[in-house]
Amino acid sequence: MLEHLAPQLFNGLVLGAFYAIVGIGLSLIMNLTGTINMAHGSFMTLAGYLAFTMIARGSSFWFALIAAPLVAVVVGVLVERTLVRPLYTREPFYSLLMTFGLSLIAEEVYRLIWGANGVPLSAPAALSGAVSLGFMSFPVYRIFIAAVLVVAIIALALFLTRTRFGLRLRAAVQDTEMIAALGTNTQLLYTVNFGLGIFLAGLAGVLAAGMLGLSPTSGNALLMPAFVTVIIGGMGSLFGSVVGGLLIGLAISLTTLFVPAASEVAMYVLMAAVLLVRPRGLFGEEGIFG
Amino acid sequence: MAYSDLTRRTFVTLAGAGSAAAAFGIPAFIPRRGEAADNIKIGLLEPFTGVYAAPGENETNGFQMAVDAWNARGGVMGRRIELVKEDEQNDPGVGAQKARKLVNQDKVVALVGTVSSAVSLSVAGAASALGTLFIDSGGHTDDVTGKNCHWNVFRTCHSTWMETHATGYSLAKRFGKKWYFITPDYAYGHALEAGFKDVLGKVGGTVIGNELTPLGTSDFSAYLTKIDAAKPDLVLVFVQGDDYTNCLKQMDQFGLLKKYPVGGPQVELEPLWSLPPAARQGYWGIEWYYNSNLTLGAGNKVAHQFVADYMKRFSKPPTARSCFGYVTADRLLVSMAETKSTEPVKVAHALENTRFTSIFNGTAYYRKEDHQLMWPMWVAKIRPDGTPGDKYNLFDVIDTQPADAIEQSVAEKAKVCKLDYA
Repeated sequence: MLEHLAPQLFNGLVLGAFYAIVGIGLSLIMNLTGTINMAHGSFMTLAGYLAFTMIARGSSFWFALIAAPLVAVVVGVLVERTLVRPLYTREPFYSLLMTFGLSLIAEEVYRLIWGANGVPLSAPAALSGAVSLGFMSFPVYRIFIAAVLVVAIIALALFLTRTRFGLRLRAAVQDTEMIAALGTNTQLLYTVNFGLGIFLAGLAGVLAAGMLGLSPTSGNALLMPAFVTVIIGGMGSLFGSVVGGLLIGLAISLTTLFVPAASEVAMYVLMAAVLLVRPRGLFGEEGIFG
Repeated sequence: MAYSDLTRRTFVTLAGAGSAAAAFGIPAFIPRRGEAADNIKIGLLEPFTGVYAAPGENETNGFQMAVDAWNARGGVMGRRIELVKEDEQNDPGVGAQKARKLVNQDKVVALVGTVSSAVSLSVAGAASALGTLFIDSGGHTDDVTGKNCHWNVFRTCHSTWMETHATGYSLAKRFGKKWYFITPDYAYGHALEAGFKDVLGKVGGTVIGNELTPLGTSDFSAYLTKIDAAKPDLVLVFVQGDDYTNCLKQMDQFGLLKKYPVGGPQVELEPLWSLPPAARQGYWGIEWYYNSNLTLGAGNKVAHQFVADYMKRFSKPPTARSCFGYVTADRLLVSMAETKSTEPVKVAHALENTRFTSIFNGTAYYRKEDHQLMWPMWVAKIRPDGTPGDKYNLFDVIDTQPADAIEQSVAEKAKVCKLDYA
């Protein structure tokens, strides 16, 4: 059993990186506008299906990997502007219901367009097969996924800490009224921030489609672990989401190895344990990367 | 921040009204179009929506082909045959409710259809209580013709036992006897596991590993590393639907498909058509195929004509589901025509033990003791990349297994099932 441990740890980290990046997107949106975006998984699925259609129409996987999330961002921004924004001044309950409704509608729309059965999105030939790492062999595609997600997370961190726009975003999370009074266009901040969250979701959606399959419900299947990620990591902390995601990924992978039947409950047990010891989550403090 | 105007009271009122509207649907007193009183009505229950919509549609097409052929010949006893279709939504509760509606309100003389075993069992239960004939065309669980058997219930598709034994015997000959299972952790998975273990017991092989995976598993990596370490002769994959796609795709990504043959009890064309080549692998049981003389019979004009007519009408080939539908409707109507009756007991007796030929190779009969259709089953190798010029053609049929060798004997069945007409 122990000889399977190393590959499984790595599998857990790859899976965890997915949860982390989806969790970060959720956190971004939640921190700034208080919106609990139940439609986050739907945007993942949307990007996956768009990539599938693009590839089927002859474009390359690499183009689709970037273009599909961008199209999802356009849809996301439209949704934010027309449907979610009017609810910012209300209780979070309203936007939660709105986005939950949207996710149900989206699922049925995907079913209408792309069918109820899963569709195939295959990784390009360059990413197929497995490489030997000496002590184990590991699929190239998973290594690629890990690399892309790490780059995306680092890029986001740099954006938020090193650019003017990123600084404004973080400031807005601290005190929206003050930054508005100082002359920053907060409506634009909201939109860009929402778009950023959707882009991360879309990226994860396309990558996940090549590994975990693509069906009308596949994004929503990743949404629950992402919420748990945010709760474990701590609301408000993007760094917490990274740690939370990786922890869940490892917990799920290792329980799958030793007690498969418990693999689905593992993350909730972890969440309960963290909440008992530290109710606000591991890094739950005010401010981004706090 | 504005506080909610939505009180608990209004919420409950709205939710109650909404669910009530959803539950009752369109009132029953609205008359329907085009119903003639003297038609022979057959109630068809299929999952027209949901995950099994595609097999449900193909089964329906098969039913329609048979019914139209009978109507073209003048119907049964001079009366037109009419299929009254209802969506069972892949939900056992809805299935039973729609079954009662078809019998009580639409006055159908028999029920046919279903895809999922759970729905088959619930419709069978409702039909038994109503004393109406039900032919399960597409639900595979052993119980339909096993411990839940009833005089009014017949089954056309193969039982789970037949599927496991047909493929088990065939694959044991081909690949060796050290097998590894990937089993979904619920009743159907356990039934497959039991079936293949029985085969291994009879051919003298061993299960060297069995991974019980929760339903909805998307990451199979942990199981795959264990399989690779165990070096089996054959990997049998029992997971279904999207889990199956993910499992095969990941086996490909981990390089296992190059090392070990894979197979399983049964695969259907509908989901296979939409899978990537990586997931179209291995050796599988199939219940019928439109493009092989092993399944159709070289000189079987009826079968070849059926395939040609079907493709012309629906612009795609018939699947095993279409065959189930056709055979079910055709045998039901033959029996009604022979007995000149729609009386369930008479028709049931006529269905029993009559040997017939149809759109598959060889003869078959609904066994008197359990009402299972005894017909051969086949094993095919999947062509991962399909066939140039025919995107639908995915199988090389390689083996036929006769019904009597793959289904439990009458004596074994007698332990769980006794049909009682009283």
